Amino acid sequence: MAERLLRRLVPGREGEIIAGDLREEFAARGGGRIWYWGEVLSCVAVRLSPHRLTAPDLRQDLHYAVRVLRRNPGYALTAMVCLALGIGVNSTVFSMVNELFWQPLPLPHSGRLAIVGRESDGMACSYRDYLEFRQRASAPAGRLFSGLVAYDDMRVAIDSGGMSHIVGADAVTANFADVLEMPAQLGRWFMPEDDRLGSDPVAVIGDGTWARLFGRSPDVIGQRVRIGTERYRVIGVAPPGFVGMSPPHLVEIWMPLASQPDVRDLLANPGEWERPLVQMIGRLADGQGTREAEAGMRALDARIRRDFPRDNAPAGAITVAVATGASRPDVRAVAAPMAALLLSVTAVVLLIACVNVANLILSRAAVRRHEMAVRRALGAGPWRLVRQTLAEGLVLGAGGAALGLAVGYWSGRLLARSLPGFPHGGMLALRLDPDWRVAAFAAAAGLASALLFTLAPAMDAARINGGGSRRMRQRDVYVVAQVALSLVLLIAATLLVRALEHALEVDPGFAMAGRLEARLSISEPEYTADTGRLFLDRVLAAVQAMPNVQSATISHNTPLSITDATCAAPDTNTRPRRTGSDIVAAGYFDTIGIPILRGRAFEARDRQGAPQVVVVNETLARRYWPAKEPIGQSVWLGCDTKAPRTVAQVVGVARDAKYASLDEPPQPFVYRPLAQDWVGFMTLIVHTPGRPEQFTAPLRAALAGLDPDLRVYEIETLEECASGSLFRVRWQAALLAVFGGLAMVLAAVGLYGVVAYTVAQQTRELGIRMAIGAQRGDLLWMVLGRGLRLTALGIAMGLLLSAAATRLLGGLLYGMSPLDPVSFAAASLAWTAVAMLASYVPARRAMQVDPVVALRWE
Amino acid sequence: MSDHYLGEFEQVVLLAVLRLGDDAYGVPIRREIEKRCARKVTVGALYSTLDRLEAKEYLSSWFADPTAERGGRSRRYFRLEPAGGEALARAKSMFERMWKGVRLA
Repeated sequence: MAERLLRRLVPGREGEIIAGDLREEFAARGGGRIWYWGEVLSCVAVRLSPHRLTAPDLRQDLHYAVRVLRRNPGYALTAMVCLALGIGVNSTVFSMVNELFWQPLPLPHSGRLAIVGRESDGMACSYRDYLEFRQRASAPAGRLFSGLVAYDDMRVAIDSGGMSHIVGADAVTANFADVLEMPAQLGRWFMPEDDRLGSDPVAVIGDGTWARLFGRSPDVIGQRVRIGTERYRVIGVAPPGFVGMSPPHLVEIWMPLASQPDVRDLLANPGEWERPLVQMIGRLADGQGTREAEAGMRALDARIRRDFPRDNAPAGAITVAVATGASRPDVRAVAAPMAALLLSVTAVVLLIACVNVANLILSRAAVRRHEMAVRRALGAGPWRLVRQTLAEGLVLGAGGAALGLAVGYWSGRLLARSLPGFPHGGMLALRLDPDWRVAAFAAAAGLASALLFTLAPAMDAARINGGGSRRMRQRDVYVVAQVALSLVLLIAATLLVRALEHALEVDPGFAMAGRLEARLSISEPEYTADTGRLFLDRVLAAVQAMPNVQSATISHNTPLSITDATCAAPDTNTRPRRTGSDIVAAGYFDTIGIPILRGRAFEARDRQGAPQVVVVNETLARRYWPAKEPIGQSVWLGCDTKAPRTVAQVVGVARDAKYASLDEPPQPFVYRPLAQDWVGFMTLIVHTPGRPEQFTAPLRAALAGLDPDLRVYEIETLEECASGSLFRVRWQAALLAVFGGLAMVLAAVGLYGVVAYTVAQQTRELGIRMAIGAQRGDLLWMVLGRGLRLTALGIAMGLLLSAAATRLLGGLLYGMSPLDPVSFAAASLAWTAVAMLASYVPARRAMQVDPVVALRWE
Repeated sequence: MSDHYLGEFEQVVLLAVLRLGDDAYGVPIRREIEKRCARKVTVGALYSTLDRLEAKEYLSSWFADPTAERGGRSRRYFRLEPAGGEALARAKSMFERMWKGVRLA
């Protein structure tokens, strides 16, 4: 039995020899089964060692593969370009995922920087807890962190050139730059005296802000800029590339934490232990891992809670994790499903590219049948031939991966620049820079695809007398699979594009055409509620007096962009329910075109001191007073059941509209009059019969004329607001359209290849047919029909696949069915047209076959 | 110096083949090494080294007629090629140069 094992594992003459040696020695020793087994196993071990398996011939294989490919540059280039496109889009998407989840901060020794916080509270903890942690965690005995920073993410308005820009900002403790080991590009970072009550407000600006608002002028140091309500002195510029602790969420301004008004107020109250909430980032002390630090911090947390007991429920446990990618849990939560969708889409594109290359190799195999037969005749075993094909695949894969990295780099650049913007002025910035992870990913993708596309042809090459017809069938299967897969992507892209159109066609319930909005900040300390209302009256009067203005009004919300909410209840016993709300001026309903169905809109008599009134929408009226007359009913406003709530009387019912997004179901909504309520942030809405875009500049000038210091944010048309609210679906539609188009091109190339190959193979047959009287048209149809039959089969399978796959897009379709027949039909028709084209080119060649030449062929 | 130099076991195998002369096939080669070096040699290790040396053209081999004592299987005889002799000589002189003037305490 051992002998049989030996013969099986060590084939050929060599096995014979070894078996003979062993038999001879076995006889000389006079037995010894265990010895015999040991010897056999030694042979087997040596045979199976990887060194023995690969090393001696692999170099030879690769060398030969390179030579073969160099002799056929067209073939090699086509295959590599196909792969490069597939690997390129994959590495672009992967670099996005990498950036969101794994890339470390662009800081020295970033592997030692850890985000610290309570995961249950969005990785935050209270500022007073932070102060205790900082003191205790850096105590010389049992030092956990060499430095611990607290920071608070916020959005602030920075004023420049008559406009206010909303940017991300971090309020940070003074040790921020020391702990992160980050010198300023210009000027300096904070010192302890900057982070004290009553100190002169100072700020450090980011590289982007420095370039955009100050033209990289070094004079920016020492300048005063208005950030929020205070004038800050700029003391430094952060190094380029640093955009805060949770990239790609952009932070462009840093300010000392303790000088923030809300922090100041809360610190004045020594009993306040829960607010303000801050996030923490720390540099791990030498010898501390995240796990030890986490255990240490939890022990400290328990001790702090014992030393300073508080009445509310225990907080979540502290976690410590190395800071990589977007450390904000909310950004991760949004990004994860998007990343999964995109990665699976690009994987399909790569799969199609692989199938293309497999097809190429198969058609080459047909040409090389002769060579393979010769090599086999000379004694090459099947495994040797398989290995040769694999080696060629590896070389192609390596070339494809290298080219793919380049493609990925450029497409990443293009993508970062051309993707539809995120709402609210670029709060996110993807850099899409490749790093070693992206390179490793591309290499892995190249290797995996090399295995994938060579395996089938290699098996085929190894088979003795690989029958021509069988190979044809295999190629057909590939084409059908390609058509099916790319059709799925195409249908998904069409669905999203149609969903976009569909969403834009949804009746928002208010008029958008010709309306322009400008967001104004009318807050303290410049304005109080009373002076603010007076100022807004002046604004309305001035704007209405401008030429080309039909009407103008004020609301707190910006439709489909920024919406407020409160709680409402029909009486004191009912639990208050969350309700959309807005504060609007008297002419609001006329200007925005929302009809009042019952009762009246707000009028001049609804002033302060007069009875509190509200206008509700149909949904709210139906929900609270299903069978009763809503006019005259009372609404209790306010979410806190303990605090005194406002009671107001319903004076009108407005038609339902879309408030926050175009795909929302009907929402209950309550309008309050501007005269009886106040928020220091308002939207001016202007209705002009002309083109609203052209009204932007005069409007800005008019506002500056009324108050040169007025903070004005984006000025946009309502249509732009609506389209901005669709950014997520727009984003994915854009990407899917690109990937779907790419997949279709790759699959079309595959189809073309197969049909062209058939024509080349059938030249003789075509010649005979022509010689015995077939018309050119018949031949055209014969070839075309073949391509179309394959396409039809692929489309049928693709439709079935799509029906299953498009369900995953559910949330992005704005109420459209995932089986939308128009999208399915349009994508299938598009594919049919492309298939016609891809088979027409080789079919024309078939028509031009000269029967005499064809018959002499071979 | 040549870019190929011999490993220790390769030298041992080459020397064994040289010593055995016309009688150099698997079984005696193994016996020779086990006797003179006092170490165990498995058949797998031996043949992989022999194959490697043949690939480097330090050895050549041929097959003899089958014999009954081997269950009707033939022997594979090995012979040192000139290149193998040169490699051995190089290895020897290398060691001699290294040992020159060295004394172990």
